[in-house]
Amino acid sequence: MSSENPISDDALREEVRAWLAEHWSPEQAQALEGKQLLWGATGELKNWLGKVVEARWAVPTWPVEWFGRGSSAVQAKIIAREFAAVRAPGAGQDRSSMWANTLLARGTEALKAELLGPILKSEVNMCLLYSEPNAGSDLAGIRTRADRKGDHFVVNGQKVWTSGAANADYGMLIARTDWDVPKHSGISFFFLPMKQPGIEVRPLRQITDESHFNEVFITDAIVPADNLLGDVNTGWKVLQTALAYERSILGDAARGARSGAKESLKEEVLIALAREAGVLENPELRQDIAQAIAYKKLNALNNARVKADLQQGTTSPAMSLGKLAMSRILHEEARVRTAILGAQSLFEGSDHPRAEDANFLTFNAYFTSIGGGTDQIQRNIIGERVLGLPKEPEIDTAIPFRDVRKG
Amino acid sequence: MNSFSADERLALRESIHLLLSKQSDERAVRATMDTTSGYDAKLWQELAKMGVVGLIVDETHGGAGVGPMELELVMEEVGAALLCSPFLASGVLAAALLDALADAGLNDRLLPGIADGSCIATAALTGKSGRWTPDGVAVSGQEVDGEWRLSGCASYVVHGQNADVLLVLASTDRGLECFVVEPRAAGIGMAALPTFDHTLRLAEITFEGVKAELITAQIPVWDAVSRAMDLTLVALAGEQAGAAQHCLSSTVEYAKNRIQFGRAIGSFQAVKHMAADLLLETESALSAARNAAARLAEDAEAATEAVSLAAFACADAFVTTAATSIQMHGGIAFTWEHPAHLYLRRARADAQLFGSSSFHRERFIQALGA
Ligand SMILES: Cc1cc2nc3c(=O)[nH]c(=O)nc-3n(C[C@H](O)[C@H](O)[C@H](O)COP(=O)(O)OP(=O)(O)OC[C@H]3O[C@@H](n4cnc5c(N)ncnc54)[C@H](O)[C@@H]3O)c2cc1C
Repeated sequence: MSSENPISDDALREEVRAWLAEHWSPEQAQALEGKQLLWGATGELKNWLGKVVEARWAVPTWPVEWFGRGSSAVQAKIIAREFAAVRAPGAGQDRSSMWANTLLARGTEALKAELLGPILKSEVNMCLLYSEPNAGSDLAGIRTRADRKGDHFVVNGQKVWTSGAANADYGMLIARTDWDVPKHSGISFFFLPMKQPGIEVRPLRQITDESHFNEVFITDAIVPADNLLGDVNTGWKVLQTALAYERSILGDAARGARSGAKESLKEEVLIALAREAGVLENPELRQDIAQAIAYKKLNALNNARVKADLQQGTTSPAMSLGKLAMSRILHEEARVRTAILGAQSLFEGSDHPRAEDANFLTFNAYFTSIGGGTDQIQRNIIGERVLGLPKEPEIDTAIPFRDVRKG
Repeated sequence: MNSFSADERLALRESIHLLLSKQSDERAVRATMDTTSGYDAKLWQELAKMGVVGLIVDETHGGAGVGPMELELVMEEVGAALLCSPFLASGVLAAALLDALADAGLNDRLLPGIADGSCIATAALTGKSGRWTPDGVAVSGQEVDGEWRLSGCASYVVHGQNADVLLVLASTDRGLECFVVEPRAAGIGMAALPTFDHTLRLAEITFEGVKAELITAQIPVWDAVSRAMDLTLVALAGEQAGAAQHCLSSTVEYAKNRIQFGRAIGSFQAVKHMAADLLLETESALSAARNAAARLAEDAEAATEAVSLAAFACADAFVTTAATSIQMHGGIAFTWEHPAHLYLRRARADAQLFGSSSFHRERFIQALGA
């Protein structure tokens, strides 16, 4: 593909720069800063994303028929770097959008035609309908069912911890389509339309006092057969693709503080906080701060090494470590923030923004260490798939799902 | 400075790996650590022939003239094999210090011997306090009738007892200066220190009016020491990262094969999770060591942050990995015959040599502007 339209790195860089100079302004950077892409975008951001996608900057490594340019990974990086330099969002979705990547890899042509564009432009909001009350870490234990009726499936069951479900237009759903085979073999993967009568979303109040995730009750909801990804009963494989994207995203991203006060802090937040609190000279805190910052830097160095290895065509075991590393970083940073504040962390409310931040981040660290697979499950995966340690014996993988013990 | 291509680096690494796997296997290490000198003179000569001993010495003085990145890589192998040798003292610390001081005449005299391994040099930088800062220096120098004389005590001198040449840091009334001293000169007391890590040699050296040759330093002496220390720390970080990786991979191998309760112990989560955490430690150490080497190669002045990060991250990773490796092996690791304790000894020694982790964390946070 790239040979059809060869372009030198320098020419490409010039092209991106020229395009950005024409379409993007620093004021926009201010306005759109911090707006999330993962769980959907609003107004102005959508507008902007539309332009990025039409100009084929969103997913440069993808084929031309699907909004890409057939670019090499190196050229995609050049594009992403130019966008990052002016703080413009939307490029690099060929790495960062689990929805779009899963759909491109496994979706039917019809579904791709219908949804790839809208997803890249954030015109539709998405959610993940995986977890159930009795199927969390053991996702293959799901009991939500999808039964074929002509050209569609009828879905019944209950999902839980579904982030962003309240605003979602589609959910990536795993449901059981065969009960008479072992548990991994009877699962199918769908794009389920959320705005229909059979779906009821109930917000859950989280420990951070937000309501980001929800319970989803599904009663006789309809999903067209075209919205099936992969073949019937091969959903477990599709799920692995999607989970891999999710983990790498969770390994890269961390939410910041929420007080809005952070603008006043310099790059090294912990040092600035300690200086502000007048405790930067405390030798014990200095050690803690150095160690917390070190965890972050080490993760960044690991990521850089992984990227360099990939470019040379080799892989590194560090590739699988990002999510676990991020858990450690987030918990440690929250702990040190609290230590810096001392007794002030007893407070709550907008008069105490620093305490708000520390307490919020203390809880929010669990977003990464539970969501998308717990730290323990990550360690199992690293131990087995990276270090090659033997799998733990499983007692329910060879029997028909009907006969598996319920939780 | 010469810089190797990726392929050349790989070849260098492989040739050292091959040599060390033959001549610095566990048996050889154990035999060597029980000798008085603590190193194998024959292997030392082979390392010199391969260009390892003179790795960082410039070509005009008979070395390979390569930079921190190649040095770090070599040290990964050195650490994995637990090589007993004066390389860090002579080929790294002393060579780097001479290079930084840049006394041309002296370098013409000393560096060729250091590079070809015929002369073992080392640097005496701190006293009994073991503080790796200017206030740790406990030797003083006086100029009497145009001749310099040293008095006081230097300690933690790596391979001091094997040295043919000593570089000694001393405080004088014109500030810190560095001197060349003949280790058998009159007035020198040289005592081998009993080390917990039997693969390491340390000496305490006392000076009573010892005749010394002043080095004509081209930059402030402490700046030269810092520069040499940074390169030495990067080498040490590479050694630690390589050794930690060796500990992890041999432990994982054991966990795959040791059967308890009818299954391999590596299939138990308590064991598996320790291994996964160690992978995070060791991979991070490797990234830190390689990054520090790269930063140092780019710009020695601006590398402090990366070097000190590597210093404590690699030290801590090696100690953690070596210690956890003993736990994961169970009783067998508690025997003298098992190599696990050799690594933990080296890890704990490396973690104190040239400054503790808390010392380097403090240096790191200062480099970040705190
Ligand atoms: C903030 C947040 C957002 C989320 N968003 C979504 C979402 O959008 N969509 C969605 O589908 N799900 C979502 N989840 C659900 C999340 O994926 C699950 O909570 C997670 O996979 C754990 O499942 P569980 O809660 O059932 O815990 P369980 O699986 O019951 O685990 C309980 C404890 O047992 C441990 N454990 C379980 N099995 C093992 C094992 N084999 N080895 C070792 N330890 C084990 C776990 O580590 C944990 O400590 C979200 C969760 C959070 C916290």
